[in-house]
Amino acid sequence: MYDYKIRGRVFIGVIVVAMGLLSLRLAQLQLIRTDDYTIESESNALRERRVLPARGAIYDRTGRALVNNEPSYTITITPRSFDRGKIPLLADLLEVPDSVVSARFTELRRHSAFQPGKAFRDVPEDVFSRVAENFYRLPGVGYEQDFRRRYHTEATAAHVLGYVREITDSELVRLGERGYRQGDLIGKSGLESGYESRLRGRLGSEIKVVNVHGLEVKSWQDGAFDNAPKSGYDIHLGLDTDLQALAESLFVGKRGGAVALDVNSGEILALVSMPDYDPDVFTATMDPETWNHLINSPEKPLYNRATMNRLPPGSTWKPFMALMALQEDKISPAEHIYCGGYHPLGGSGVFRDMHVHGSIAVEEALEQSCNTFFFELMMRTNVEVFSKYAHMFGFGQRVSTDIGEQGAGLIPDSSYFNRRFPGWGPGFTINLGVGQGDMGVTPLQLARYVAAVASRGMLYTPHLVTRMVHQETGETLYPKIPAPTKLPIDEAHFDVVREGMKRVMEAGTGKWIQIPGIPSGGKTGTAQAPHERKDDSVFILFAPYDNPQIAVAVQVENAGFGAVAAGPIGSLMAEQYLTGSISSSPSRQWVLQSVLAVRSEPLDTEDDERAVADGESEESESGEDT
Amino acid sequence: MRIWYRNLDYLTLFAWVVLVAIGLVAIYSTTNGPSAEYLLESVRQNFRRQLAWVVISLGAGLTCLFLPVHFFQRIAWVAYLGTLILLALALLFGREINGARSWLQIGGLTLQVSEVAKVGAVLAGAQLISTMRPNSSRVKYAFLLLGVFMTPMALILLQNDAGTALVFFAIAPIALFWSVWPVGMLIVMTATGVAGYFSVVHLPTAIAFAVLFTFLVLWKTRERLYGVMAAVSSFGAISAVLFALNKVFRPHQVARILSFTNPGAEEFRSGVGFQLVQSKAAIGSGGLAGKGFMEGTQTQGAYVPEQSTDFVFSIIGEEWGFIGSMVVISIFALLLVRVIQMGIQIKHPFGSMTAVGIAGIYLVHVFVNIGTVVGLLPVIGIPLPFVSYGGSAMLANTVLLAILLNLHMRRDDFPIYVY
Repeated sequence: MYDYKIRGRVFIGVIVVAMGLLSLRLAQLQLIRTDDYTIESESNALRERRVLPARGAIYDRTGRALVNNEPSYTITITPRSFDRGKIPLLADLLEVPDSVVSARFTELRRHSAFQPGKAFRDVPEDVFSRVAENFYRLPGVGYEQDFRRRYHTEATAAHVLGYVREITDSELVRLGERGYRQGDLIGKSGLESGYESRLRGRLGSEIKVVNVHGLEVKSWQDGAFDNAPKSGYDIHLGLDTDLQALAESLFVGKRGGAVALDVNSGEILALVSMPDYDPDVFTATMDPETWNHLINSPEKPLYNRATMNRLPPGSTWKPFMALMALQEDKISPAEHIYCGGYHPLGGSGVFRDMHVHGSIAVEEALEQSCNTFFFELMMRTNVEVFSKYAHMFGFGQRVSTDIGEQGAGLIPDSSYFNRRFPGWGPGFTINLGVGQGDMGVTPLQLARYVAAVASRGMLYTPHLVTRMVHQETGETLYPKIPAPTKLPIDEAHFDVVREGMKRVMEAGTGKWIQIPGIPSGGKTGTAQAPHERKDDSVFILFAPYDNPQIAVAVQVENAGFGAVAAGPIGSLMAEQYLTGSISSSPSRQWVLQSVLAVRSEPLDTEDDERAVADGESEESESGEDT
Repeated sequence: MRIWYRNLDYLTLFAWVVLVAIGLVAIYSTTNGPSAEYLLESVRQNFRRQLAWVVISLGAGLTCLFLPVHFFQRIAWVAYLGTLILLALALLFGREINGARSWLQIGGLTLQVSEVAKVGAVLAGAQLISTMRPNSSRVKYAFLLLGVFMTPMALILLQNDAGTALVFFAIAPIALFWSVWPVGMLIVMTATGVAGYFSVVHLPTAIAFAVLFTFLVLWKTRERLYGVMAAVSSFGAISAVLFALNKVFRPHQVARILSFTNPGAEEFRSGVGFQLVQSKAAIGSGGLAGKGFMEGTQTQGAYVPEQSTDFVFSIIGEEWGFIGSMVVISIFALLLVRVIQMGIQIKHPFGSMTAVGIAGIYLVHVFVNIGTVVGLLPVIGIPLPFVSYGGSAMLANTVLLAILLNLHMRRDDFPIYVY
């Protein structure tokens, strides 16, 4: 009686229409408007994340790693997705007060609400895994694997390597388009800064699927669109780690700088500035006290004395004076000058000597460090000529090389005196003959100069980096170091001066610090320090005498005679480099012990300004880059 | 001796197996995908729980398959009464989940009573119609049948489970159409539905449709009475919708209803529209072949709220694309057509009415669920049969299907002449 068949057909018709409607709608969404919805889904579910390349390592001349990387975990917060109610939980897991977390959150939100910001870097591994286990309860919290700088050797070489720190706001504004982001590390001084672009490498990127809470849950399309980062270059230095470590240890309790160069290439074998700092303190969150000390201490640990200090060279200047006078025919090698214990220009008690040397020639004058002799040479020389020769040796200017922080030193000329001392006369310049008065040099400049003397006139460019090797490809780059120049000074004159410096080490002030079994040439210097302070101790040395390998220059502030503080340091450094160790003979051990006992006169706080003035203020006046 | 399963409908069984498998695959993708570790512990158990429910449902379904047909006729009213009692209990002592007080805790199981109620209602409706005689009052039976469906609907509405209540509301006219009403009523019903739908989406279209429909009926039938009926039903639907939107519902409810028309709009996007925006992005971005198993970014990122329950189709659309979507739609079409065909084959009103009740329930669920997920209909929270996560629905739907398979398999046990 029921016409089920007709009703059945009608019902089936309804089913077909209903399913047809749904199919049409699906075709519209999935076949026609696919692109619109693909964009929509990608824009909310995909996030590009940067992959930092491994920062290049730095090796010494024998391939020992001075600094490289170790992985470290950074907890990130995406402010938009973060639930403020979870602050106590996160703080609890991180073992920090709630206020720290909320402060960090506020700071990150200022930068970007949508991008994951680095909230807590270098989290210890156990803390990290504890947080990671709770990610599902912490929307908006993620992590990044970073690299942390790790320092390996007993030598800190702080002023060579420099340090890396989190990028500042102003740097971000400047460098943002080069791919730097809030929380990135950037080299701030030394090689880390100078070679930043080489060490850093090229950023990579990964596309991640992000869930509705802002958490990255997987890579997109198995990483088909990811760009691997290009790691940075490893940097190889000419530095000798053992030598560097010894030099740093010898500077205990002292202020000053020392530079050792390879005479035949200009490679820097050691570069010490004391007091220094431990670059490792910058890799972790630094407590304000440490930072305050680094910034405000009158000893200025961040300041590179080896390349920026401007101290008078004292008697270490005399070989230069001799070379200049010989080349300019102001004196001949055999010509004698009479020393009565003072220079007649000012009578006794003004331009004084320590001894009455009598009639004396160049070599002996160097050996005996006769002031009168070199006062007289300066009297015979125009200050313009003096300035020209000093600049020829690299004084009074920065050198174009891979050391970023450099001082120019001070080499006066007539315009300088016109400006400072109108109506000046010989009395104003005569002091320059013995490396005193209105002049200043850096240990780096001194080392370069003594290397030029050692090699009879070859002036090399001092440099740290010998080559850069790419971590993955092995591609090797060489730094563009200006070629050495030959100084326009007769080699015979060098022989005379070298002989004089050899006599210093055999019979003069350097006698007690001769390198056992290795003849050398050296010169001590004692520079008057201002403010009634103890003299600055200066020393230059090259060795071995016949076939020089190493040139050393040492300045120790407020530590007395050159032969007392700087001399032993320079001599021990040369011995370490040439023989690989310090002789265990009693006399040599006594040298070692005695120099370890030397201290720089402590700085009073009121003298803060002195350090400032020495280093920075007048640099611009005479500084000219070459 | 005849083999007892000689008449078992394997095509239906096949459809059930495929749909359940597709549902399990989709749920597995949300719980065991690469992002599983970011899920809440309770969500991570979804796949295993669903698997357990499939086993339970299979057991219940097999049991139903072995019972004699008379058993279902005899227990129909008992089951209906039990259903009403359960609904009342849920209303009084039930657990509230997602705002609806439809859940009863029985031992370790949490049962959504409104889902289970479908079984009782379908059996009772079928039993009622099988007592109708040729000389019975059609009007009386029409009202009785309406009462059978509207009583549980009222209780479910009180539980605040509007989606499931709507299913009961929608089955009533389907059952009426099958048993009592003339075929022409279908046209009126359809017109009412279309007019109501467009008055939400686009009012001018709705009015134009109502005018056109009225004149079409007048022109075709040349009977003033039918013309008036057409006008009353279509304009009545428009007025009812407008009245409800302006006077009955609160603003947030209106927003929920209207949001599907433009879910990306500023006023909806962050709230009620979010689910639809994300669901459409998931399905649309699936394209022809989909992003692949466990590769859907929307799915793995859990962007679509309720993605394994009411919005499970968004997973299929995203990860398996248009092809996967069409497979699901085709299987449902196959299942529905087979259910109707079985209803015709059974001939006896009890079996036939059971079949149409089941077909009505499945059709409303499938059309409303997928229609919601693809943004054709307002967001109405009802699951996709056999596919969505949810044990009660799986159990109820499977038991219903097993009863029908049984009645169909043993259709010769019915008396040929019932009157």
